[in-house]
Amino acid sequence: MTDFLDTFLDDYFAECDEHLTAVRRTLLALESSIGRSRPDPTITEELFRAFHSLKGIAGMVEHREIEMLAHEMETYLRAVREGEVRLTTAGVDRLMDAARLLEHSIAARRQGEQPIDIEPALAELRQISPDEEDSPPSSALPAPDSPAASWQCLFTPSPELIARGINVDVVRARLREQGDIISALPVVGDGGAIAFRFVFEGNPEIAERDAWVADGMVCSKIDDAAPVAVSTVVGERSAATLSSANHVRVDLARLDDLMRMIGDLVIRRARLGDAIARVESLVPSTDWRGIQENMSALERQLRELREGVMRVRLVPVAEMFRRVPFVVRDLARETGKRVTVDVSGEATEIDKFLVERMLDPVLHVVRNAVSHGLEGVDERIAAGKSPEGTLTLTAAAAGEMVTIQIADDGRGIDTARVIARARVAGLAIPAHVDEAAILELISSPGFSTRDASDRVSGRGFGMAVVRTRVQELGGAISLASTPGQGTRFTFDLPLTLAITDALIARVGGETFAVPQASVREVIEINTGGIHALETGELIQYRGAPVPIVRLSDALAIPVRPATRLHAFIVNAAGAPIALVVDRVVGQREIVVRTTSDPLIRVDGIAGATDLGDGRAVLILDVAALARQARRTRGIVPVRETA
Amino acid sequence: MTDQRSDQYILFTVAGTTYGLPSSQIAHVDLVEDITHVPNAAPFVDGVVFSRGQIVPAINMRARFGFERAPIDLRTRFLVTNTGNRVVGLLVDSCREFLKIDAASIHPPVDALGGAAGSSVSGIATSGDRMIVILNLNQLLASQDPILAA
Repeated sequence: MTDFLDTFLDDYFAECDEHLTAVRRTLLALESSIGRSRPDPTITEELFRAFHSLKGIAGMVEHREIEMLAHEMETYLRAVREGEVRLTTAGVDRLMDAARLLEHSIAARRQGEQPIDIEPALAELRQISPDEEDSPPSSALPAPDSPAASWQCLFTPSPELIARGINVDVVRARLREQGDIISALPVVGDGGAIAFRFVFEGNPEIAERDAWVADGMVCSKIDDAAPVAVSTVVGERSAATLSSANHVRVDLARLDDLMRMIGDLVIRRARLGDAIARVESLVPSTDWRGIQENMSALERQLRELREGVMRVRLVPVAEMFRRVPFVVRDLARETGKRVTVDVSGEATEIDKFLVERMLDPVLHVVRNAVSHGLEGVDERIAAGKSPEGTLTLTAAAAGEMVTIQIADDGRGIDTARVIARARVAGLAIPAHVDEAAILELISSPGFSTRDASDRVSGRGFGMAVVRTRVQELGGAISLASTPGQGTRFTFDLPLTLAITDALIARVGGETFAVPQASVREVIEINTGGIHALETGELIQYRGAPVPIVRLSDALAIPVRPATRLHAFIVNAAGAPIALVVDRVVGQREIVVRTTSDPLIRVDGIAGATDLGDGRAVLILDVAALARQARRTRGIVPVRETA
Repeated sequence: MTDQRSDQYILFTVAGTTYGLPSSQIAHVDLVEDITHVPNAAPFVDGVVFSRGQIVPAINMRARFGFERAPIDLRTRFLVTNTGNRVVGLLVDSCREFLKIDAASIHPPVDALGGAAGSSVSGIATSGDRMIVILNLNQLLASQDPILAA
């Protein structure tokens, strides 16, 4: 029962996150409507939908703070939409504060902490909303000037809505109740999602419209003639449509579980193969061929399944980019600058793990760009630039790499200042300082700029950490900067990391990683059970003699004698061989880095990884080790016989 | 842009001799942390180091020049070089100096050096009463032949 509740709550939190993301994004867009008599209806409708859903799901889990906050936010927004109050900067700020409080409250609930005090925020929201008593329920409002206005209603079906029985026919029937349908057109959204655009004349009641919003219907008055939302919002909306209509949320841990299960299947298939091989002599050869064909098809399909799951880990870069406008807005407010964020290529896909690891570096560079790169309004005007600075985020895939660029049209990097600071920090200054050299200097651990704005942009995360993070992920970072014109950082990242499950083993004082896919089984052996023969050593494994290779011998590592050892059973040319280590200490997901330099290209070493302690750990190529052992020590694998 | 006649060099010592490499070929200089031994690698390769997110092979320069290895101490440094297509680290006794050296003060390698050492040495520079052996990094990394100390 508790499990069910936990899962349920997990879903609740995940759904909250989704709506909060929408709220954050849309509130930013709402700013462009400040001072207008009526804000852009597509923006308010999206906010309504988010508030409405939040209220609904919070009600189900009895999360009172969320319910009340969302309700008050909705109330203010409704007043704005109906033109009862004008949208002000203070109003947007209140909404932003409330959104932040929503976030904190959800986080507190998730961590099982004390509920957050929302009363002051509620009071502030009530202050800017017209008194509830003074504004009677919407249905009692006098009908607007025109008895039958033209409305446009966009309905985007989704599996969730259809499951609730809301389809085009239901929508059409609802609209008919409220007016006359003039036209109905299917339209294709950016993500390939089908939506329906209805134009109808009528006078839908406001209460009715609120309910529609939760059902995927976005209605707006056509003669409102609101200007189209700013470019970034349009772009982001397409990504949002894409994600809600065509994507499902999957917890990374569940994907890892799937990977583990596939690993188990691979091992099970290998055992089945062995068992079948033992009965070969009992099966007529025609039947045998069929069995063999099925076995190899099974093997191929398992491999495809594994690759398929790996591909599922790819997520759109939008997950990372959509945090940027929010950060920029806060920072621009604090520094008194004006900044537009342009985003493109946010549908570019990248490994989920990379998105998580790259978020902080990207946000750091963004903060730097706003704090240092972009000039204040006065300085920009004096330089003959538009008062509003532009921050451009671009993502693009090229082959096996994904390029992420963060560019500003600010003042560019002041080379002299970087050199002066580097000198103070005691860094070596190269004779010719080009962009690569500047990047090197600002990414040095000792380099620090101590402007007042660094309090804002620093946050304990420097360029040194950014560069290390990028390199750790197998990527590269480069810089281009032109005085007076701007700065551009480019991250080149691998599309997906060579991530694999590995068993971690110790031999003598050394630690090694062994890719799990190459291991059939891990067994414990008693040194008493090792039989020394002229050609090598053997153990009994599943009733058959199996040759062993001691890694300590193969890799010339001194070890202390022990009575109990661990061994990896691996396949060498179709027959098992046991690779003996001191101890298997665990299983880890590792990032494979190739060791391609000729100096360390050694048979038996597939690459290296780090386990988080700054030490390089070698990844063994067990197949090569088995081959090598056969060559140098004359070990011949013994075919298993019944 | 770059001054044709004088370049910045990073100086380091191995077994009492001072060597120089153009600073443009040095990515960074690290203190020596953990070196992971790589079995069956070339005899002068101590192993690999995980440096700034990269796996970098470590050449023990004492061993490379035919000297006994010395224990790692506080002055030991790891010079990470970048030739454009390879990143290789050099384990040296110490590395503390930058020096601008005029091209004119670099003399061609003495004939007596001869052999493999000759190709790994691009010149001998003098600065005051010091002698600095300027190395040819590409040659140094390309060959696995023994190099006699200059």
